[in-house]
Amino acid sequence: MKGFHAFCVVLLIFGSVSEAKFDDFEDEEDIVEYDDNDFAEFEDVAEDSVTESPQRVITTEDDEDETTVELEGQDESQEGDFEDADTQEGDTESEPYDDEEFEGYEDKPDTTSSKSKDPITIVDVPAHLQNSWESYYLEILMVTGLLAYIMNYIIGKNKNSRLAQAWFNTHRELLESNFTLVGDDGTNKEATSTGKLNQENEHIYNLWCSGRVCCEGMLIQLRFLKRQDLLNVLARMMRPVSDQVQIKVTMNDEDMDTYVFAVGTRKALVRLQKEMQDLSEFCSDKPKSGAKYGLPDSLAILSEMGEVTDGMMDTKMLHFLTHYADKIESIHFSDQFSGPKIMQEEGQPLKLPDTKRTLLFTFNVPGSGNTYPKDMEALLPLMNMVIYSIDKAKKFRLNREGKQKADKNRARVEENFLKLTHVQRQEAAQSRREEKKRAEKERIMNEEDPEKQRRLEEAALRREQKKLEKKQMKMKQIKVKAM
Amino acid sequence: MSVNNMSDPRRPNKVLRYKPPPSECNPALDDPTPDYMNLLGMIFSMCGLMLKLKWCAWVAVYCSFISFANSRSSEDTKQMMSSFMLSISAVVMSYLQNPQPMTPPW
Repeated sequence: MKGFHAFCVVLLIFGSVSEAKFDDFEDEEDIVEYDDNDFAEFEDVAEDSVTESPQRVITTEDDEDETTVELEGQDESQEGDFEDADTQEGDTESEPYDDEEFEGYEDKPDTTSSKSKDPITIVDVPAHLQNSWESYYLEILMVTGLLAYIMNYIIGKNKNSRLAQAWFNTHRELLESNFTLVGDDGTNKEATSTGKLNQENEHIYNLWCSGRVCCEGMLIQLRFLKRQDLLNVLARMMRPVSDQVQIKVTMNDEDMDTYVFAVGTRKALVRLQKEMQDLSEFCSDKPKSGAKYGLPDSLAILSEMGEVTDGMMDTKMLHFLTHYADKIESIHFSDQFSGPKIMQEEGQPLKLPDTKRTLLFTFNVPGSGNTYPKDMEALLPLMNMVIYSIDKAKKFRLNREGKQKADKNRARVEENFLKLTHVQRQEAAQSRREEKKRAEKERIMNEEDPEKQRRLEEAALRREQKKLEKKQMKMKQIKVKAM
Repeated sequence: MSVNNMSDPRRPNKVLRYKPPPSECNPALDDPTPDYMNLLGMIFSMCGLMLKLKWCAWVAVYCSFISFANSRSSEDTKQMMSSFMLSISAVVMSYLQNPQPMTPPW
């Protein structure tokens, strides 16, 4: 019962609210034509009652707004509570609407207009529902970026290739007059000059020359900038870097004396001293300025002995170094060259790395990144210096003191190394001996024949006894000697 | 004969063949860029496929292009092609599943 009452009350309230809504409409004379939906005003009204209440152009603008009211044939019989508002059009002839269209349409937003203060806004259709190409602008951007990357790859690759070819054309004559084999990639059956650079990468080109007095061979590596990679190109705009030409001459053992020597820009030498095994061991002092020998201040010298520097810095070499100082990054002569220091996880390596007598040259191509093929000609005198250095290294010999010092240095380095690894070497030897014993025992175990087993065991025992005896003899001898 | 020897430094009998430097440690030392980019490309393309993120797939395409540009000659093309194909397929799948244009994160 109570529920039913509540339900009736709710219904009543609902009804009254809805009635109140239509209150305004009831006052109108044209209520007969009015339908209960929002779109009644757009329906085609059959009767055109001209004498009826004035048409009103309805807007949803607020009543308080200052708007011009457009009323045609306004009647005094107009209801007071009906508010008029106007649309944007002020002239009658441009009014597109039929007079009767808005008959009977009350300002329904009378209730709503008080709370809605905004004009109708036309919301944009969301981008993903549109069917135009413009909404895919990010994709187009991405594809454009990719195309730019591909273009840069092709252009950069071609430029590097042209630079390499220009370098080779400039230097070909000099190389062919000095070396029998110019250009080899190691794959041919017989050693014939290919006469071409080996392309290792899009930015690295190799050339191997061999067949000359004094040296085993010369490996020239043209390390260009990564012009084919757009990221690298952009990074280089921040920090200019040069192309480099690296030359490594491997000398015969009998053609070079024992010394370690380096000259170059200070920054390069500091880095080399840290990285290179031989420079860090034999040249412990900091790089000295080259001004003492007449070099420009930008160059510094690292040397094992003063005598080596004096011997190396003859007039012709000084001439080369002074004139082309801006193109020289580093020059490194060494008989103990073994490459950069190897960082091993388990401590020191067990034996010294192999060394080779080498002359290393690193030159910067002028242009600092913006090189042109004709800049390669500027490097030709440097190649002359390389050839001259090869011959000089053969001629230069240390005198007796220098040789003694050098030998002492090398012995010292080796001793240090042995000391450091002594413990490890002992452990390694111990483990090897145990391995052998275990293998022996296993062999004995695996023998099926018991007879053979016994014999093998006896043999092993005898060997052990012999070893012990030998040791005892040695101890005795040492004791006797000590006495 | 001796004059020839003195002026001409070439010695055909002393020719040594070119031996490519041992490559046990060199590839890693030289430049790890192509390897990193390869790995990144694969990770991004898997992300783009699984999580249906379009920008991941596009970044994967870029990564595989960069890896290709920086690659060493000793690297085989199969790996290059496979990472490239994977990233392209990630892009295509993302758009097939969801043809709406990519929205910028800002």
